[in-house]
Amino acid sequence: MTINTTAVSSATIAMMLADARLPVGGHVHSAGLEPALAGGMSPGQVPAYMLGRARTVTLVEAGTAVVARHVALQAEGQGDHRVVLPPGRLALELATIDGAWAARTPSRAVREVSRSLARGYQRLAGRLWATHPAVVACSRAGSGAFGQTPSRPVILGVIAAAAGLDAESLVRLVVYDDAQTIAAAMLKLEPLDPAVPPGWVLAACGVAEEFVADLARLTSPHAIPAWGAPESEGWAEAHSRTTQRLFRA
Amino acid sequence: MPENTTTPNNAPARSLRIGVAGPVGTGKSSLIATVCRALASELRLGVITNDIYTDEDARFLRSAGVLEPERIRAVETGACPHTAIRDDITVNLLAVEDLERDFDPLDVVLIESGGDNLTATFSPALVDAQIFVLDVAGGGDVARKGGPGIARADLLVVNKTDLAPYVGVDVATMVADAETAREGRQVLALSRSDAASVETLAAWVRGLLVQHRAGTHTPQDPGPMAPHFHADEEGGPGVMHTHDDTEHAHEGQPAHSHP
Repeated sequence: MTINTTAVSSATIAMMLADARLPVGGHVHSAGLEPALAGGMSPGQVPAYMLGRARTVTLVEAGTAVVARHVALQAEGQGDHRVVLPPGRLALELATIDGAWAARTPSRAVREVSRSLARGYQRLAGRLWATHPAVVACSRAGSGAFGQTPSRPVILGVIAAAAGLDAESLVRLVVYDDAQTIAAAMLKLEPLDPAVPPGWVLAACGVAEEFVADLARLTSPHAIPAWGAPESEGWAEAHSRTTQRLFRA
Repeated sequence: MPENTTTPNNAPARSLRIGVAGPVGTGKSSLIATVCRALASELRLGVITNDIYTDEDARFLRSAGVLEPERIRAVETGACPHTAIRDDITVNLLAVEDLERDFDPLDVVLIESGGDNLTATFSPALVDAQIFVLDVAGGGDVARKGGPGIARADLLVVNKTDLAPYVGVDVATMVADAETAREGRQVLALSRSDAASVETLAAWVRGLLVQHRAGTHTPQDPGPMAPHFHADEEGGPGVMHTHDDTEHAHEGQPAHSHP
């Protein structure tokens, strides 16, 4: 069943996608926090860790999602030029965006985790927006031009296009989701007053705000930012080889 | 009731998916090892474990040597084993589908829940049937306490009956209490050292598989809720029901509201 979401506001879509209760498997992720703490980062550094991600890797995610949304909109002629991308071209362009994201995400562990998380979103998209050409293209990924399961930001951008989420809200969603994932995982991993981390989340969203407008205007995979967090990637690699994990990553 | 789903493209033959739930330490992993030992020579099996720290149970099962290690996979639950089998089954569904794809065709996939409390049950969107496991060492009165898994799982196992003399529990009484709580649904007194009880368990799995393949088995939901009352829309007397009523549908327009 495809739900007609044209009557639903962009704000509502953003709220739904940001809700941890959305059944996409997000609860098994910690946005790198468990790997970081296991790797020796002190709990006192978590707010700085959150801010650091909000200004680096999270913006790579956000930029990727925005460009994927831009291309996915063209699948139904909703882009700036009202051209309709044929399905083969659409899959190729989404694959190119995915490749641009992968090139900016050097850790294999981080890439694999993103693709596994993406499968949860794909399952949801297959229920809610099954007939959208970009959702179809992603569901066929693994064969043809699109070599593998798309990354999370690509499927998120596709969902944004299918569901009617605007580009700026999409950027804010990616930033918020990353910070909130850390905040929720923190309470599972370290003793803390649960009322404290929400303040960190708002601070992280605040420091990313100056990037929102520029990121929301991106249309080309080449323009996706390439900021990194190498230590975090190292922790993720180490975590992927441990056996005693609470969180996938 | 949500239906089970499989991957739309190139979907392998869909296995029978059986959930194994129950409190910590009642012998869920051991029961799975017992099933594997009894059936691995006649059925193609796979196992998914959900544990606190990813792969404790998976390692136990691999070391038990009852199945090729590759057929036993662990998923992380983000410290929410309850959620991972009920309200966000994503990671488990993906793991089952991957296992079915990699070892196509599989006959049965057993999914072990992380040891949680008495209220954790599987979503029927994840498993076709579920076994709830108690043990005599947990106390003879646990079965009387009831709860969704005890009362309405497809099969209730009272495990470790060989320990009963040492913990002062009368197995017959515990089984009778369980049968009362379950209103006649099947209860199995099991010990891995009691061959007859193991054969009864194996026969239950075989029988379920026959029904699954014939398309005559419908997943039932033990539900998280106690039996509750629905007012009749037509102003009639209303009905008491549990969520194993097949006509009870949440898809589309609800026929009722939960208070």
